[in-house]
Order: sequence, then structure tokens, then C-alpha cells
Amino acid sequence: MTEEEKKSFLQKMKEGVSDFIYGMAAHEATRQALKTRGSMEHLFILITMGDLLGVPILPPYYSLRLLPYVVPQISTWKRRMLREKDLVDALA
Amino acid sequence: MALWVLLITMAVAIVGYRYYATRVDQDIIKADPKRATPAKMYNDGVDFMPASSSVLFGYQFKSIAALGPIVGPITAVQWGWLPAVLWLIIGVFFIGWVQDYAASMLAMRSEGMTMGGLAYKFISPRARGILLAFLYFYLLLIMGAFGSIVAGLLASPAIPIGFIFLTLAGVLAGQMTYRWRVDLLITTIVTVLLALVGIYLGTLPWAQNIVTAINGLAGDDKGVLYNTPYGPMTWAVFFWGIVALLFCYLGSVLPIWRFAQPVNYVSFWFVILGLVGSIIGVAIATFTGATGVAFEVPAFVTWNQPHLGWLWPILFVTISCGAISGWHSLVSTSGTARQLEKETDAKPVAAGAMFTEAVLAVMAVVFAATALTRADGTVLYDAAANYKLQVAAGAIWAGGMSRFLGVLGIPAALGGAIGSIFLAVMALTVMQLVLRFMRVASAELIGDKITAFKNPHVGSIVALGWTVLILWTAFWQRIWVLFGGANQLFAGLALLLITIWLVREGKRYAWAMWPGIFMYVTTVAALLVTAYNSFFGPSGAFAAEVGVAFRIGNGIAGVIGLFLALAALMLAWDGVKSFNQARSKMAAAPAGD
Repeated sequence: MTEEEKKSFLQKMKEGVSDFIYGMAAHEATRQALKTRGSMEHLFILITMGDLLGVPILPPYYSLRLLPYVVPQISTWKRRMLREKDLVDALA
Repeated sequence: MALWVLLITMAVAIVGYRYYATRVDQDIIKADPKRATPAKMYNDGVDFMPASSSVLFGYQFKSIAALGPIVGPITAVQWGWLPAVLWLIIGVFFIGWVQDYAASMLAMRSEGMTMGGLAYKFISPRARGILLAFLYFYLLLIMGAFGSIVAGLLASPAIPIGFIFLTLAGVLAGQMTYRWRVDLLITTIVTVLLALVGIYLGTLPWAQNIVTAINGLAGDDKGVLYNTPYGPMTWAVFFWGIVALLFCYLGSVLPIWRFAQPVNYVSFWFVILGLVGSIIGVAIATFTGATGVAFEVPAFVTWNQPHLGWLWPILFVTISCGAISGWHSLVSTSGTARQLEKETDAKPVAAGAMFTEAVLAVMAVVFAATALTRADGTVLYDAAANYKLQVAAGAIWAGGMSRFLGVLGIPAALGGAIGSIFLAVMALTVMQLVLRFMRVASAELIGDKITAFKNPHVGSIVALGWTVLILWTAFWQRIWVLFGGANQLFAGLALLLITIWLVREGKRYAWAMWPGIFMYVTTVAALLVTAYNSFFGPSGAFAAEVGVAFRIGNGIAGVIGLFLALAALMLAWDGVKSFNQARSKMAAAPAGD
């Protein structure tokens, strides 16, 4: 039996209501905060690691020095930078 | 009677969700909880990120339930409460949830594409451009329709002080949360209480006197500045309209944490408390008789309301949310589909939120139809004039909320103010988002040619300029019908996309195609009728002996109506071609499910 299955009906109900309120009140704000942070980070990575996308901005020496710190984010960064974007994305 | 109507709506919603939606989800779409969703596949912690179904249900409901499910039904009650309720129930059962749910599934199975990308992929390259232009005008109509309602609400002397307090409380909430790092619970208690005190203060005579003095600063002895085709434009509505747009401007250009988000957060508590309190009030009043819950507006009034039009097609666009709304397809594709953790979550989130919104819309009908006059004798629907609405639709909602919150012991003035602010913040939340989008859209579309549009202030001011032109020259019910037409037409477009996708996938498509055809025909007809009336109707743009304001207002409304109808026909042309191509391919291939 998983942790989820062990929860009583009341516990599940309480979690559901609290999630619902969070979803209505604060989820969008959380997304906005993450988007702002993500955009800043991704801009920073573009400046430092741009040559990974064929946009050399910083001399490779500094990029290589910074590379170990950026490695965990490179895959999602590339995906976000190269994803085809649409104007309607601005509504999300 | 009111409670029974609400209960019947809930029962229909449960049956629709439990049986119809489940059958489509399991047998046709075949939602698979193990299939990777875009939120998981492309998780970038920014645009694509999984969230639980309960969180997304709240997010989806909050994003789709604005003024549409409230003002539309209140206006539609002029044909009688039964047509309004029937369209809400039948609409949500056969069309509304279908669009919301299927749009989110379509986006999920198309790697999280939004409407523009989907139109490009499933209809034609030019469809994307037409859709975006359509979207700009559609959003402009949202600004005009919602803005005029907010201006009308703020013109009431008991409202502005509370609204200003609420705004300041929101700004304080942002400062406390993000700068001073105060605990969210303490921030919530302090700011919500501050806003509540402000709303209460606003209802006191001295505060109302201040607002009344402001409202009397210009115009003739009744505050009238000039006449529009459909009534006088007062200084109060003129001035508070500017204040509402200034609010949107700040929401559009300031950092989101500084203004839009914390103000929306504080507002949320009034929305949820008002909503829950009113439902409890209706239930208690039914059994105690504390306030009237019998319908006073007849079940059926007329087939043709002269100032609005025929029941078909106009009622079907007047009720622009609650039954079905194109806005929902935007939310479902751009926002929700990129966050769904499992495919099987789409049903509770998208379909569930839509059915819930239908219940909210029926509650608006209850608020409207259970009182012909207010306690102070103000006539709301005039029985002698074919039950024509005599006050702003927002005032009906505020009055209804005041009556049903009164059952719980909340003073009538405070209840009315909460109801008005409830509506104003719901409208302004969407308006801020829309203005932000229009600013980005103008920068993207013409920023390279006219570099000034890359400046956020210029893009925002130009969009606000259009809105002001609509606000100050046109009749809000006509704009509301145009907005409803554009909104429902967008739903028709979404259903067209869904149908083409289903055909390409070799799935059964009649359940999406027929609602799509119905919405298309109805909304194009409504837009053409409205455009005709705007040009050639009494007081229309080409009518003899009408003022400049009449000509400009009706001219703009007519041109927008024609443009939207034309864009829709072009999209339908391309869509049908794409549909036939897909069907021919499927006919040549082995049969699918």
C-alpha cells in the first residue's frame, strides 16, 4: 500500500481543498515568479554558454570555467531556447 | 425554486461529468495515465512543469471564471430565465466541457502547442496570422466590455473608497511578501482585514459624500457630459473608467510582483468568501424565507427583445461563458495543458472546472430573476417594458449578493459593496492580463516597423486608447454581444481544430464537430446581425440625424463585427479543406478507433 493509499478520506479532502485554494490564489503568482527567475537564468546561460547554440558571446575560456556550474541546467535551457514559440504563449 | 434550479444544474453537471465525459475520456480519447505529458517531457521549471490536479483545478477555474458567467446570464434573463438556464445546462453538457477538455488534450498530444501553433499545424500557415489578428480584436472587445462594467460599478458612491483600499492592501501585500519577507499567513490576515475595513468605510455616508462630490465635478446638474446612442455618458462613468484603465496600465507595466499579482491575491479572498457565502445564503433562504427565492421574472418573456435581438442567435452569444467560451481554449492550451501531470487529469481539471462554472452562471440567473425591484424601490427589470433591464448588470449581481449575504447577517450596504468589488476585481484581473498580452502582441507584430511599439508604455497606451474609444462611444450591451460573438466564435474555431485533429487520429469526431458547426453558424449570424444593426439600425452609424459619437461608436462596433465574421469565414474555408484532406487520408488508411 502506497503512502497515498494510506491517507484517510478526510486527509485527502483536506489536501484537495488546500491545493484548490492554492491553485486559485497563488499558483499563477508562483508560475510568474518561476518564469521571471527562469528567464533571468536562461539569459545568463545564453550570455555565458551561447556557443552551445552557435551564438558565441563570451570567450570560450570563461565559458569553460563556468561550464561545471551550468551543466545541470543545460538540457532544459537548450529546450527552452530552441523551442518554437508562439505569440499566444504570452497569455500563459 | 431557486435552490431547485441550482440543484438540477448540479445534477446535470454530475451526470455529464460522470458518464458523458468519462466515456469520451476512456473510449474515444483513451487518456493514458502512463503516457508522458509535455509537462514531464519538456519540464523546464518555467513554461512546462507538472502540478497536481487539485492545484490545476483551482488554477483553471480561477482563469476561466471572470465576468462572462455572471454578466451574460443576467443580461439574458431579459428573454426569460428558462431560456438562459436551458442554454447553460444544454450548452455545458454538449459543448462547453467538450471544448475545454478536448483543447487541453489536443495541446497535450501536440507537445504543448498553443492555439497559434495548432492553427498553423492543423489548418494552414495563414490560419495562424488570421487567428492572431482575430485574437487582438477579441481581446480588445474584452477590454471594452469589461471596462465599461467596471466603470459603471465604480461610479456608485459606495464602491470607490473600498476599491482603492483593496488596491493599496494588495500593494502592501506585495511589499510584505517580497521585500519585508513577512509570513504569508500574517500578510493575508493584515491585508484582507485592511481591505475589508476600507470596503466598510466606503459604505459610510461621509465617504460616499466624498465620492459624490467627485462625481459631480463636471457635466450638467445630473453629471451628464454628452449623450451616446444608448443613454447619457456621465462624468462619474467617464472618470472612473479612466481610473479603471489606469489600474490596468499599472498592472501591465509594473513588475508583476509589485502590483498585479498581490492585488489579485488579496482580491481572491473576497471572491471566494462572497461566492461561498452567497451559496449558503441561497440554501438558508430557501428554507427560512429570509429573502425572496421565487422567480419574479417569467420563465419565458419573448422571442425578440427589441433592444437586443432575437433569442437565436443573440442569446447564445449574450451568455458567453457558463455554457461555452473560447477564452477557455486559450487557458486550456497555453496554461493548463503544459502543467498536467497525467493525461487522466485533463477530465477533472478542464471538464470539472467548466461544469463548476456553469453552476456559477446559473447562480447569476438566480440572483437576477428573483428580484424585479430592489428594497429601495429601484426597478431592476421593468415588467411594463417587456422585462427590459433597467440598471447595469453588475448592479444586479451586487444586489443579489447583498440579499443572500444579508441572510448570514452581513449588512446590506457592505454585502452590496463586496458584490460590486467582487465583480470589479474579477474583470480587472482579466483586463490586466489582456492588456499585457496586447502590449506584447503589438510589439511582436509591428515592433520592427514602428520601433516605438517595443516600448511597453507605448504598446499599453495605444491598446488603452482603443479601449477608451469603445468605452466612451459605444453601447455596452452591443459591445457585450460583439464580445460574446467573438468569444463563442473562438470556441467554434477551437472545436474545428479539435475535429480536424480527431479525424487525423482516426477517432470518432461527431461529438466535437456538431457542437462546432452549431457555434460557428450561431456566432457568425450574431456578428452579422450586430454589424448590420450597428450600421443601419435605429441610431446606427448611417442613421439620419445622429451625432458624431453615435457614428463613431456604431461604426467601430460594425467594422469589428464584420472583420471577425470575415476572419472566421476564411478560417472555416481553410479548416474545411484541411478536414476533407484528413478524411480522405483516413478513408484510404485502415480504420482506427
